[in-house]
Amino acid sequence: MAKSLIANNLTFKYDESTIIDNISFEIEKKSFVTIIGPNGSGKSTLLKLLAANLEPEKGTIILNDNELNDYSTKSLAKEMAVVPQETNISYDFTVYDIVLMGRNPHIKRFKKESPQDLSIVKEAMEATNTWYLRDRNINEISGGERQRVIIAKAIAQEPKVILLDEPTSSLDIHHQIEVLDLLKTLNKEKGVTIVAVLHDMNLAARYSGEIILMHKGNLITMGKTEAVMTVEILQQAYEMEMVIERNSYTGCLQIHPISLIKRQKELKNVGVHIICGGGTGKGLIQTLVDRGYRVTLGVVNKGDSDWELGCMYNLEMAEEMPFSEISDNSLQVAHKLANSTDVVIMTEVPIGWGNYKNLDILEAQLNQGKRVYQLCSNENIKFDYTGGKGLNKIQLLREKGLIVVEGKDKMLELLEEIK
Amino acid sequence: MKKELKFANQIVLLLLLLFLVIAVASVIGAANISIFNSIKIIFSQIPILGKNIDTSGIPQPHVAIITNIRLPRIFLAFLVGYGLSIVGVALQGLLKNPMADPYITGTSSGAALGAAIAIMLKLNRVIWGFGIVSIFAFFGALLATLIVYNLAKVKSKVPVTTLLLAGIATGQFFTAIMSFIMVISSKDVTSIVFWTMGSFSSRGWNHVQVAFLPIIIGSIIIYVFAKDLNVLLLGESTAQNTGVNVEWVKRVILITSALLTAFAVSVSGIIGFVGLIIPHVMRMLVGPDHRILIPASGLMGGIFLIAADTVARTVIAPTEIPVGIITALAGGPFFIYLLRKTKKVI
Repeated sequence: MAKSLIANNLTFKYDESTIIDNISFEIEKKSFVTIIGPNGSGKSTLLKLLAANLEPEKGTIILNDNELNDYSTKSLAKEMAVVPQETNISYDFTVYDIVLMGRNPHIKRFKKESPQDLSIVKEAMEATNTWYLRDRNINEISGGERQRVIIAKAIAQEPKVILLDEPTSSLDIHHQIEVLDLLKTLNKEKGVTIVAVLHDMNLAARYSGEIILMHKGNLITMGKTEAVMTVEILQQAYEMEMVIERNSYTGCLQIHPISLIKRQKELKNVGVHIICGGGTGKGLIQTLVDRGYRVTLGVVNKGDSDWELGCMYNLEMAEEMPFSEISDNSLQVAHKLANSTDVVIMTEVPIGWGNYKNLDILEAQLNQGKRVYQLCSNENIKFDYTGGKGLNKIQLLREKGLIVVEGKDKMLELLEEIK
Repeated sequence: MKKELKFANQIVLLLLLLFLVIAVASVIGAANISIFNSIKIIFSQIPILGKNIDTSGIPQPHVAIITNIRLPRIFLAFLVGYGLSIVGVALQGLLKNPMADPYITGTSSGAALGAAIAIMLKLNRVIWGFGIVSIFAFFGALLATLIVYNLAKVKSKVPVTTLLLAGIATGQFFTAIMSFIMVISSKDVTSIVFWTMGSFSSRGWNHVQVAFLPIIIGSIIIYVFAKDLNVLLLGESTAQNTGVNVEWVKRVILITSALLTAFAVSVSGIIGFVGLIIPHVMRMLVGPDHRILIPASGLMGGIFLIAADTVARTVIAPTEIPVGIITALAGGPFFIYLLRKTKKVI
């Protein structure tokens, strides 16, 4: 396939500090590429270089077979349009006038707009859902609307390439999706090459075919989204623990930032076994893992939301098949896990016939003289579904030394005392 | 197009207003000349058309007063008002700064210093009907702009912020030197102050001749960039990406503006406020599109300055008030009124 943009050994310096350090890449025609990277990685500068707003210190950029410097300002604007992060317009132009300005590179200096120009403008405004705003003042509309107007202006330029610098950073989630869907449509239906700097990795993963990952002015990698969006690669730029999974609703890759890598290093030598389920353990598990406790879970059913969290953190768990009663086998595993820890905590997980045996784990640990807590934040929650048998058992356990703790914060305080 | 019809109507309206103001301004004065006669005299001055108009019934001194004293003044006032307003529009658009006026690049203080030096050195000779004070003012204005432009230049670009700061710094410096001249040459203070307040008194056709071509050509050059000025309001880099060669447009407009202002200043002294408020008034009346805003501001600026000059020479006749005082007196409150009325942030 033919190349739309080629960068050869690009270097850009601001005074003495190098912002872009010898970057080369090729972008194919009709592709949707996003540039991601942490703050200060040089992604916006790279975009400005591609847009010819800045001149590289070294290296060349080739746009559709011609070097960027060989284009006149006007002919460049016919090939490529740019959508900045935010646009402030000093005086009161109407929305229609602004979009019409996009025709500027196509109209000779002393010529008027032709009917064709006007119909292109109308089409661009309808595609961006801004036609109804045409007589409004550009400064009277909301940020999301203004961003769409600027994109309409870019479309009216009829470019082959559109560059966008964090086009969605000031928009709410609805408008973010709206703008990106619009770009995707443009890309698919009109074959416009889209190159966008995005802050949000999840949006990048969802919309772009290819990703350029940058870090401190260097290009770490460029490739298909699925190939770049791996923990190993992303960690070269973002110093973070993260988990990547496939979003079950959109089918796209999704990044879950877990914790900063630095904080993880101070591990506590304290093991906590948690008996949970149905999402009752989530808050506690996350905090304990963040603080460096060694956490084990079980017995939990596979597919349970606490189980999913455990998988994400790679915790040791005693697992049971979904919606099944706890088997002797998994109970054995859970006993073992609980034995290896210093504290056992039961969350407000409802007790039914399926997980009734979890209470046996508590009893066994109490018999060993270990500290066992029952976390209880809301008295009114109905948690017994065994016709009173569960409650009786809890009563018995309390007599044996089960300590009731109110709220997560108190629980954390108690854990701090254990050395 | 509906819009173009509206533009045309607005221009026609302004032209009618202009003619009315010229007629009134040529009538008012110490010599009592009737409206009918003055209109006759004005028309008789127009080539071709004038031959068919019979002015024999009008006393000869009246014809001389109108054609040699009042008309050149009116013309000059129009030219200066027209030029300053157009430069004001262009610079406000180019610099995206509503406080920009024709003097923002140090033109006024440069011209004032030039004039002050000439006055101090008693260079009141006249060359080709043109005072040396004016010539000094012209070159003072250009020198100041040159210094500001070179101070503001970073590599090959002229960023707006550095331009504004360099303008202020250079202006202050020139004003300080002028103040120093006023201190050491205290008997010239009155003439210097008078000169800096601007006036059209005892200006003749030779002044019109000097200012006419540069101001008209300058305004045409600026008008050629009307569309680019529109796009520039999107911000410099966006304008660049929309096909406007920003640095080139900036250079052409800055140089044209400086020359235009220097010519205006050299024939009239420093007349403030016109170049600042007329663009704002017209932006409120005809909108921000430079294709209409530039000619409309030019016409309105001319009309306003003719009216102001008429007031300046008649209100406490036979003493003349410097026209700059009138423009500030009338312009300031009117501007505030417009601001309050439209309740818009400029």
